[in-house]
Amino acid sequence: MRQLAIYGKGGIGKSTVSANLAASFAESGLKTWYIGCDPKSDGSMTLLKGKQIPTFLEQMKDGEETNTVEGFAGIKCVETGGPLAGVGCAGRGIIVAVQELSKHHFQQDDDILIYDVPGDVVCGGFAAPVREKYANEVYIVTSGEYLALYAANNIARGMANLNVTLGGIICNSRDISDEKHIVEEFARRIGTHLIGFIPRDGVVRDCENHGMTVIEGAPDHKQAEAYRQLGRNILENTNLTIPSPMDPEDIRTMLREMQR
Amino acid sequence: MNDILHPRPNPIIAAMYTLRDLDADVVLMHGPAGCGFMASRRLEEAGVHVMTTGMRESDLIFGAEEKLVRILRDIDDRFNPGLIGVVGTCASMIIGENLDGAIKKADVQATVLPIDIHGCSGPNTTGAIAVLDAAASYGLITQHERDRQKMLLEKATLIEKERGLTSKSYLKPHPGTTKLSAAQAIVGTLRKGGKISVVLNAKKETAYGFADIMRAVEHARSVVGGEVHYIGNLDDKVGLPRIRRYASNILRDLDDANVIIESITGGLDEYAVSGKKAAEALKQCDADLRIIAGLPHTVPDLSKNDVLVTDQARQIRNYLEKGFTIAVGELSTHADVMSTHTVLRSELGETIRQVADGGLA
Repeated sequence: MRQLAIYGKGGIGKSTVSANLAASFAESGLKTWYIGCDPKSDGSMTLLKGKQIPTFLEQMKDGEETNTVEGFAGIKCVETGGPLAGVGCAGRGIIVAVQELSKHHFQQDDDILIYDVPGDVVCGGFAAPVREKYANEVYIVTSGEYLALYAANNIARGMANLNVTLGGIICNSRDISDEKHIVEEFARRIGTHLIGFIPRDGVVRDCENHGMTVIEGAPDHKQAEAYRQLGRNILENTNLTIPSPMDPEDIRTMLREMQR
Repeated sequence: MNDILHPRPNPIIAAMYTLRDLDADVVLMHGPAGCGFMASRRLEEAGVHVMTTGMRESDLIFGAEEKLVRILRDIDDRFNPGLIGVVGTCASMIIGENLDGAIKKADVQATVLPIDIHGCSGPNTTGAIAVLDAAASYGLITQHERDRQKMLLEKATLIEKERGLTSKSYLKPHPGTTKLSAAQAIVGTLRKGGKISVVLNAKKETAYGFADIMRAVEHARSVVGGEVHYIGNLDDKVGLPRIRRYASNILRDLDDANVIIESITGGLDEYAVSGKKAAEALKQCDADLRIIAGLPHTVPDLSKNDVLVTDQARQIRNYLEKGFTIAVGELSTHADVMSTHTVLRSELGETIRQVADGGLA
């Protein structure tokens, strides 16, 4: 069983990439899980025709037996859920939900688990999915912009501290010039590689408006092929390394150099 | 919603005691100083070294993994322990400390068990089960022993909920009915040539205190006559080595006092199931007066005029509220027994002796 965790700056497109990736795995016949770890609980909606599902932690809180919901192509969808903004402890919620999932839900014959983890790794709880017995393959989503790279570098630092292996960097394009090369160079400098490039395309938003991934809503579109290609790259990926983060000032220098 | 308001042990405390049962040399609390402090004092009397990582505000903010690693190495160097248990606390577990990861990083000589629980992890027995799980996965106990104890602990939790401390929303401590009235009822029954059954159904080390009642009743019988039957969970062939040791020490001391246990109902960790066997033995005896010492509520089908003896003041209140008339408190038992290897004199035992010897009217 492969266990992937997708990290990246808030708003960079982790959930979109994760959901399309899950859909591409599932349509090729793999038994796939999508585990959304954001208290907002919105990452799985494009796998569920736009519906929100009862969160895992709400079910546990009410003493119910925890259930998972099947989405597109049989993907098992979970939203861990968590407290409302400003109260409680979302990090603790992730720890408890991940423990419960591995104890009672994952099966031996599951092929691939995708943890979609919120923005920055702000506390121990947000690192729970990458503890030893859970995900051992982290992918960081970024664009070629400074702040996204800065966040990606920070996440890489966290992974290095935790001794977690990075599978690569996914570039979710914001249509800036020379973006692929920028992200490729960044990946090289932190000791990993670019595992996939997702172009920016309006079809993503169109499909999301219909509560669908591109794989489901526009399966023949070239954008769907981009997600499938990313999926194949990940499945074939054997290049796992503990990253060596950059000095943040060096990121700016790198960007300035590449501007010329 | 049935909120239970009175203070009671949590999984942290149960984990600490279970590590003691495994003969751990060091229990390291990963949390603030003071967490589990009262339990620590008692466990130190039992020979366990309890230590703390003494987490501070800055550890909550920045994490305390390095501190845990450093302290584990320090403990390993200075005390050369064979077995260490690192017990989680609310502070460390809420911030997501990775006990297992830190232990691997510390890479010390001692066997170190990560006990990933905290105060909010559920009933206190959750902590005991977590220790058993860790011990089984490190090969310190067999899977069979782990399963046996887990079943017993779950049963104990259920009994507490049905008939014990967690069956009531609030229980105010009660000092107990007088020892003199209980002793007079006991000696009076024997003097008339009556029949008494004494049941010991006690939890682990507390039996060192409650077993004295058997010695005292046997003394009274030898002085004033009558007939006594002894029933106890003193099987010294089940459970962890430490628990078996308790049972064989107690059997030795009872033997010295001419107390012969007619019915052994189980081991000292089997109080949650041995109570049922004790009830059957009690039925067989059909005595005029029955004494149940230890955790009387774990013995089903008690009658309202049985003499109940226990060590917790809230449990006494619970018994009296349930309509029992004689509930005697041996309130210092747990504190007294922690370091002992012999049966200790109990207050009720001493009162029975005094009454039997004619020292009281």
